[in-house]
Amino acid sequence: MQSIPAVSESSTGASVMLRMEGISKAFLAARVLKNVDLTLQKGEVHALLGENGAGKSTLMKIMFGVVQPDAGVIDLDSVGPIRVDGPRHALALGIGMVSQELSLVPQLDVAQNIFLGQTPAMGIVPRRRYRDEAAIILQTLAPHLQVDAPVQTLGMADRQLVEISRTLARGGRVIAFDEPTSSLTPAEQEALFAVIRRLQHDGKAIVYISHRMQEIRAIADRVTILRDGAVVASGPIGDFTDDALNELIAGRELSRALSRHHVPKENAAAPLLELRNLSTQRIRNIDLTVRPGEIMGLAGLMGSGRTAIMRSIFGIDKKTSGQILIDSEPVDIHGPADAIAAGIALIPEDRRGHAIVPMMTVEQNFGLASPRKFSRLGVLRGATRRGAIDHFVGELGIRPTTTASLMSSLSGGNQQKVVIARWLATGARVLLFDEPTRGIDVGAKAEIYTQLKRLAESGAAILVISSELPELLLLSDRIAIVSGGRLTRTVENTEDLSEDMLIAYTEVDGTA
Amino acid sequence: MKTQAVKTELSPAALAPSIGRRKSVFRQAGALTGCVGLFVIFSILTSNFYQPANLIDVMLQSSINAIIAVGMTLVIMTRGIDLSVGSVVGLSSMVASDMLSHGLLVGIIAGLVVGLLCGAINGILIAKLKLPDFIVTLGTLSVFRGAALIYTNGQPIYGLPPAFRDAFAGRILAIPTPVLLAIIIAVAAFLFIRFTALGEQVIAIGGNEEAARLSGISIDRGKILVYTISGVLSSIAGFVLIARIGAAEPIGGSGFELQAIGAAVIGGASLFGGIGNPLGSLIGALTLGGLQNGLTLMNVPSFWQYVASGAVVILAVYADQLTRKRR
Repeated sequence: MQSIPAVSESSTGASVMLRMEGISKAFLAARVLKNVDLTLQKGEVHALLGENGAGKSTLMKIMFGVVQPDAGVIDLDSVGPIRVDGPRHALALGIGMVSQELSLVPQLDVAQNIFLGQTPAMGIVPRRRYRDEAAIILQTLAPHLQVDAPVQTLGMADRQLVEISRTLARGGRVIAFDEPTSSLTPAEQEALFAVIRRLQHDGKAIVYISHRMQEIRAIADRVTILRDGAVVASGPIGDFTDDALNELIAGRELSRALSRHHVPKENAAAPLLELRNLSTQRIRNIDLTVRPGEIMGLAGLMGSGRTAIMRSIFGIDKKTSGQILIDSEPVDIHGPADAIAAGIALIPEDRRGHAIVPMMTVEQNFGLASPRKFSRLGVLRGATRRGAIDHFVGELGIRPTTTASLMSSLSGGNQQKVVIARWLATGARVLLFDEPTRGIDVGAKAEIYTQLKRLAESGAAILVISSELPELLLLSDRIAIVSGGRLTRTVENTEDLSEDMLIAYTEVDGTA
Repeated sequence: MKTQAVKTELSPAALAPSIGRRKSVFRQAGALTGCVGLFVIFSILTSNFYQPANLIDVMLQSSINAIIAVGMTLVIMTRGIDLSVGSVVGLSSMVASDMLSHGLLVGIIAGLVVGLLCGAINGILIAKLKLPDFIVTLGTLSVFRGAALIYTNGQPIYGLPPAFRDAFAGRILAIPTPVLLAIIIAVAAFLFIRFTALGEQVIAIGGNEEAARLSGISIDRGKILVYTISGVLSSIAGFVLIARIGAAEPIGGSGFELQAIGAAVIGGASLFGGIGNPLGSLIGALTLGGLQNGLTLMNVPSFWQYVASGAVVILAVYADQLTRKRR
């Protein structure tokens, strides 16, 4: 272990722990970070805000050594520029990260996970010593955890604590939390905040990434806001109102375009999609109706069953009971092919993993779900397909307009538009959108919102999942709360409905 | 709002299409350059490599591997692997040569049916039972070989009818029929991949299986199809093998799997799936065939040729991995 030099005093009097200065990074032609500065002081919780795609995660990856910057310096303890070679090196330097996907080995116990990667490559692992040391670390942080409990028996909150402990075991002084509360219950959240305050008290520097304004108010001392890869503001949290923060995050013009201007409308049409008592391994007795022209939002925590509802409609998860009706007719769906035939489309959350084939062209990706439409006797009709995609290129504003380019060469927003075009080409009337704007830039986001509303106006029945409540409030006619695999209530999206009320519903229904 | 949207959307796209295109062209161009380079080197180092008679010989020697490699390329494009091809060669050629005594067509059809069944068994085990392709085909490699040995109790079958030998090891206008056969098969496979909906689905399965499934594509059908094609092509390769030798041995085709995987990968197929070109596997087979022929002309002992061709295959896979990482 290296020696820790004395911490220098900055001009403001507070001691600077980590300084990132002039950080720039480009992937291909996309400039993800432009000359970004971030200073972390000892004993502060520093919130990093920005839209998806604003550059937050790239900045964190650079801090953690996963990505190397094109320009800029990282300075730990004011000893001059350092190079963080990778996660192992970052941990050795005392920089830790608690991300949404934890890097624990479920089969190993708590102590083994805490000392993972530190065990000698050869010779005998001093298991007893590790257990003792792990117990010391856990004593202050999480006294209820057993050092010999396998991690797979722990809940999400406890796993996070193990991850934090691992960072501390390596002398961690800078710890980044990337949306740590997204799958925690309110009580677990409070416990996590207590731990973070304790770390703060011990003089650690904390980076906290979250989309939830309330949380940031509760825990952060200072904020830095990124937009389109550049810092647009930085300072003590008290200097900003919520409205000011929102405007800084989204950009002035866009924030107006993305503002909520919902017009409640009478919709007396017969339901286009109807779920009756639908159950699978993960959801129970779901009753839901969506009328043509209606956008129904699904709110709930990660893992609450929102995605499972969509998967069951699309025939991915096997239903154990219940019925799916389209136009009041029961349909038998045993797989995606049946669902497509019934006029249903699913735009999945994980675009890279579940929607696109990166090494195929835009045109090929577009045609995947309509093989019959674009072929005759099995032979592809290239001209027909080109004509169809050209139409959608114009309609959705897909760039580049040359559809012979590989899917992997498009930006996330444009890939998403191609995926949407794929489903529109099937003629689907029931559209299931799972986190439709995750990880895409603000401009494309606005275009997708517009498109969703236009689809609804043309008579589609739309189901939208989003973890960003403003997005749900912006888009939905009604919002259904999902909790513990059940649909606990459905509310009209009127003027009075607020983010706080939705959060309250989710919490109340979660504990009931 | 409009200007901002355009700005953010345009920047990554500007460079992109040319990059994607260039990369896929590189794969083929690289394989062709390597193959030509190898031929030039052997032409300089030996006095007779470049003679037309020897070059035709190289093509003839490569044709069996080329035929199998086309099927292997399709399998690899779905992100699979078929280790059983050599044993399918052995089993189908034993059955075919036995059945030839009942007539030319009977023998050929019997051999093709054996290849088809072997391939279908692989495909069904992999697709329906969700078993790992590597283990399934490693298992059937042994099963099919055992069946070939059991069939005649380990005895070879001699005396194949001349008509059969003419068909699969003769010449048309001075060009050996196995070479023509390999070219026809590779072109057909290329047209299948490039111009049919099913061919595109095969690429999609290898490129991103989950995305293909969620697009309503039948993953099982695609996988069973490519393994069946691989089996049938292995049996055709078996016909060429026994027609050239004039006899069928139960151990015929041993070790062909490595050569076929090598030809497919040298020809541009990616073991990570979703990328490949059946025409490239012709180049791959020629490269490996040329290497063997050239080394023989240089009097390199055959034991060393095993070392050389194995090393070339590993090198080709390494090159594939490098391009994959850069992506």
